[in-house]
Amino acid sequence: MACHERMEDDSGKYERIVHKNGSSYHYLKISLEFEEDTSIRLNSAQFKQLIISSLKQLFGEIGAALPFDVLQFEENTLSAVLRVYNRDLVKVWSALTLLGSYQSEMCAFRVQQVSPFLLALCGNSRTLKLE
Amino acid sequence: MQSTGGHPKYLLCEISFASPNGWQHVEEKKLHRSILEAIQKAHGDFGVACCAVSFAVKYLNTYTGILLLRCRKAHYRLLWSTLAFIHQLGKKETCAITCIHVGGTIRTCQKFLIGYNRQQLLRKLPTCKSEAERTALQEAVRSCTLQEDVVSASEEDSN
Repeated sequence: MACHERMEDDSGKYERIVHKNGSSYHYLKISLEFEEDTSIRLNSAQFKQLIISSLKQLFGEIGAALPFDVLQFEENTLSAVLRVYNRDLVKVWSALTLLGSYQSEMCAFRVQQVSPFLLALCGNSRTLKLE
Repeated sequence: MQSTGGHPKYLLCEISFASPNGWQHVEEKKLHRSILEAIQKAHGDFGVACCAVSFAVKYLNTYTGILLLRCRKAHYRLLWSTLAFIHQLGKKETCAITCIHVGGTIRTCQKFLIGYNRQQLLRKLPTCKSEAERTALQEAVRSCTLQEDVVSASEEDSN
C-alpha cells in the first residue's frame, strides 16, 4: 500500500512552462494587389525594394535601414512571407499599409496573417473549406 | 490640472564650420529649413510630422556658434539624432552640429551656457599671447553672471 502511494505522488505532478517573448521575430504573410488587372511582374528583389522605398518615404533613411527578410516569394500571386524583428513590426506594417503605387500603377499590400511563429502561417482557419 | 499641450524640450547645440567664413551665410530661417530637410531625409514623413509642429530655432549666436532649438518632449530624441546627420547648410558650407545640453526651459539652458562659456574662456587662457589679453579674459570670466532683469526667458510655451 505504501509504495502505491509513492507512485501516485510522482504521476500527479506536472510542470508548466510559459514563454513570454517566445520569438524575437514576427512573420507576416502579405500579398501585393494591383487595382487594375495589369501585367506588371516583380521579382523578389524588386518586391523587397518596393517595401524599402515605402519605409524610406515614411521613416527616412533610418527606416529604410530596418533589417527584414523576404523568406518566400511567389511571382504569380505576388505573395510573400516577411520576417521582421519585434521592435520593427509596427514600422514595417505601417509602411506596408501606406504604400499606394508602383510605377504609377495603383496597388496595395494586403496583410493576411501575422504571427511570432512561422508554423502558424501554414494553417489558417479562414482558408478552411467546410463541407 | 494637467496641460494637454506638448511640453517643450530645449536642445542647446554648438555649430562648427569647416571654413572660417561659413558664418556669414547662417541665419535662423535658413537653419530652420535645413534642419527640417535633414529630418525629412533621416526620419521621413513620420519624423517631420512629429517634430515640425513645435520646432523652432530660438537663439542663434554666430560669434560663439551656440544654437538653441525647441521641440516637443516626446520627440526630442528624433531631432537629436538628426543633428548627427547634418553636414551642410544649404549646399555650401560644411558644418557639424553637436548637442551640448538638453533642458526643459530656456532658463536652465542659459544657466548651463554661462558655465560652459566660462569653461571655454578658461580653456583659452593658456593660449593668450599678451598680458593685456590675459587680464581682459580673466575679467570676462569673472563677470559671467545671469542678469536677472535682462532674462525674459522663463517662458515655457505650451502649444
